[in-house]
Amino acid sequence: MDKVQLLIGVAVALFAIGLTGVVIRRNVLVMLMCMELMLNGVNLSLVTFAHVTGTAVGAVLVFLVFVVATAEIAIAIPIVLLLVRSKRTLDLDAYADLKG
Amino acid sequence: MTKLLLPIVLLPLIGFLINGLVGNFIGKRLVSVVACGLPIAAFLFAIKATADLMATGAPLTQTVFTWAQFADRPFEIALYFDRLTAVMVLIVTGVGSLIHVYSTGYMHEDKSYARYFSYLNLFLFFMLMLVLGRSLLVLFVGWEGVGLASYLLIGFWFEDPVKAAAGKKAFITNRVGDAGFLLGMFLLYRTLGTLQMDQINAAFLAGPVAVSASLVGVLLFIGATGKSAQIPLHVWLPDAMAGPTPVSALIHAATMVTAGVYLVARLHGIFLHAPEASALVATIGVATAFFAATIALVQTDIKKVLAYSTISQLGFMFLAAGVGAYGVAVFHLYTHAFFKACLFLGAGSVIHAMSGEQDIRKMGGLAKKIPITFVTFAIATAAIAGLPPLAGFFSKDEILWFAFASGHGGAPWLFAVAAATALMTAFYMFRLLWLTFFGTPRMDHETAHHIHESPWSMTGVLIVLAVLSTVGGLFSIPHFLEPMLPLPEVRPELHHLETPLLVLSVAIGLAGLALAAWFYSRDGARAEAARTHVEPLHRLLSGKYYIDELYEGFIGRPIQWVSDRVFLRLGDRLVIDGTLDGMAAFARRTAGGLSRVQTGNLHFYALLVLAGLVVVLLWSWGHV
Amino acid sequence: MNTLLANFETLLLVVFALCALLGAALMLVLREPMRVALALISTMVFLGGVYGLLGVHFIAAFQVLIYVGAVMVFIVYVIMLLDPRDSAARRRYSALLVPGVIGCGLFIVALGALVWDSSSEAHRGAAGAGFTLAQFSAAFVNEYWLEFELTSVLLLAAIVAAIAVIQVSRRSHG
Repeated sequence: MDKVQLLIGVAVALFAIGLTGVVIRRNVLVMLMCMELMLNGVNLSLVTFAHVTGTAVGAVLVFLVFVVATAEIAIAIPIVLLLVRSKRTLDLDAYADLKG
Repeated sequence: MTKLLLPIVLLPLIGFLINGLVGNFIGKRLVSVVACGLPIAAFLFAIKATADLMATGAPLTQTVFTWAQFADRPFEIALYFDRLTAVMVLIVTGVGSLIHVYSTGYMHEDKSYARYFSYLNLFLFFMLMLVLGRSLLVLFVGWEGVGLASYLLIGFWFEDPVKAAAGKKAFITNRVGDAGFLLGMFLLYRTLGTLQMDQINAAFLAGPVAVSASLVGVLLFIGATGKSAQIPLHVWLPDAMAGPTPVSALIHAATMVTAGVYLVARLHGIFLHAPEASALVATIGVATAFFAATIALVQTDIKKVLAYSTISQLGFMFLAAGVGAYGVAVFHLYTHAFFKACLFLGAGSVIHAMSGEQDIRKMGGLAKKIPITFVTFAIATAAIAGLPPLAGFFSKDEILWFAFASGHGGAPWLFAVAAATALMTAFYMFRLLWLTFFGTPRMDHETAHHIHESPWSMTGVLIVLAVLSTVGGLFSIPHFLEPMLPLPEVRPELHHLETPLLVLSVAIGLAGLALAAWFYSRDGARAEAARTHVEPLHRLLSGKYYIDELYEGFIGRPIQWVSDRVFLRLGDRLVIDGTLDGMAAFARRTAGGLSRVQTGNLHFYALLVLAGLVVVLLWSWGHV
Repeated sequence: MNTLLANFETLLLVVFALCALLGAALMLVLREPMRVALALISTMVFLGGVYGLLGVHFIAAFQVLIYVGAVMVFIVYVIMLLDPRDSAARRRYSALLVPGVIGCGLFIVALGALVWDSSSEAHRGAAGAGFTLAQFSAAFVNEYWLEFELTSVLLLAAIVAAIAVIQVSRRSHG
């Protein structure tokens, strides 16, 4: 195992842990943070491949992911704020209004 | 190729269109002129065509247009005029015109005057198409058309549901017969490749044909039983008396019901080579004649007596056709047109005088009050009874003779039944005459006060028809038709019986007259006494052998049951509606089931994403 | 393994990577959202270190600047704002804990099996030459200018959405 294989494995693990966190954690803010973790896992794999191939593509994509993640958080947080204000709880199970 | 035939057919059609479209706006006088004038014009054309026919000796034809063309086989609309056609066309237009004139008097007070005459002209158009048609196709169009006109005219006073139902019954019963007719036509076209009747006759007379002549004959005869009210499809004719009396005279006595006889006579080529079919025709004919005569013995409505009499006389015509004497059948058709029309129109005159009363038990003593009607009615009664030298004697005697002696199926039993029927015919007709015109008046005072002779439009026609009933028989139609419809061979050993049989038929007529006079003089006292002895038989005959009830029970009700249980409840509601509703319910249930995936719970959705990813990854493990 | 631990740099890389992984695992276990945020921050910083050790220093800088400096600060603010509202005895895990963990295991196994062999040294192919910041910028502007413009549109949309949210929030709360 060399460093690239290790880093790829770590990226896979980070993504999996992020996705699992979305499934198993109840607090909505923790869920948001787990989604950030998933994005970081993807970034790691992109950087690793950029290092392997030596071209700039991977780095460009990482940069774009930064931008998109920031924009996403900028909107997701206020939405969560409004939700919490109307439901009065951070528990995700209370947000099942779209049932059926 | 002549140009005379098409006007004969089209002139009544023009009358129908004029009276039908603008009849209500042009006044009764103009309607009458159009309605009577056009058939008279057609009659004149027919006379000219007959003169042309006798001059050249060859049949006249006129091809109007080609309707359809399949490869080398065209379906042409063509008209054909030979001797048989001449007889038929002259009867239809002649007697038809007379009845139109009579109707101007009879229907004068009716509010649907124009509609009546437009239907009557429509009937003439279709009837003329029927008799003038060269191919079975044109004949069938006319056949169906007269059925339509009959329905319209029987149910003329359609506000009365009973009368409307009578019209429906006539049409539907005819339809049943038409099924057989159509099958016969299909068979003929398939084997011979043509529907033109002269070619069909030639093919059958030339030699054996690929199709069984008896089968075709039976099928065509089924159509004839429907139209000509023979057993088992006779049930519509008595009910058809619900229509106006001139309609009964024209359609259900003189012309439409004879279409079946015309069909058999026209296609004699088939029947000459179909002994089984001919035997069936003769048997059904004589059975119907006997059967209808027995019912007529006890009828109390003046028109119903005449209706059953018509069925009986049609039976005689089919008997003659069944034993190969087609010319004689047409002869009886011709004489019957005269005296039966005279009888029906006379009955109409009586009803008119009696202010609408039709029950003969409530009549009596009319002879002195409506003399012209009485004299014409008496002459026509004597004609139908077969008293010489009136018309009916000649035709009926020939039928009895050929029923006995024809080499083509004549038999003593046919003669015996026919003779018995002739006796009954004379008896019930004189019974009718006695109860209506003689004896003490049995009507109420109000009606008696209004009795008056009919106007000249009605009595004039009666006189003409009575004269024709008297002298019509002197023109021998069988002799006239012999070049195309040869009389059958008489069995040589029976030749010498011709004169004795003639005397016998005269005796039968007189016997019937005597019996009727004996029973029904003194207001039918002896008849009443005799009736008590045979009460059950009387009830059976009065109930018309309960045939209508039989049909209703064995055919009508089972069909209704099947329609209700099988087709409505099972087929329509359960299967069709059930399938549609079932599909909708299935869709709803499936959607309901599938919508349970949407729990609204984000954790669950995320788990589904995870699971989906795992599945995709596992799949690509083997395939990438 | 020996090559990994051979020189100091790779050793540091291994440590950073494992610490990032540890931080991520802690995220699943910690109860308080604030502590979870801190775990995430630590993961991100360690990842920044990894990026730096891989040679892409500007990416590492941006990681810390943007991710930790903007995104995580924002999240921490919101946690501080919202958290006390909830009751103290709140549960950590949802109802789908067991299926989730099983799914996670399956996922790691599946994806890992797919990429493990192909990312090993033998199958990888030759490493290319590295790239500098100048080359990166040139590539960005020359070949990926469309993506650049699209992200600016995305940011515009985000700004509009933010303003809309403010309106909604003002209307519902006076």
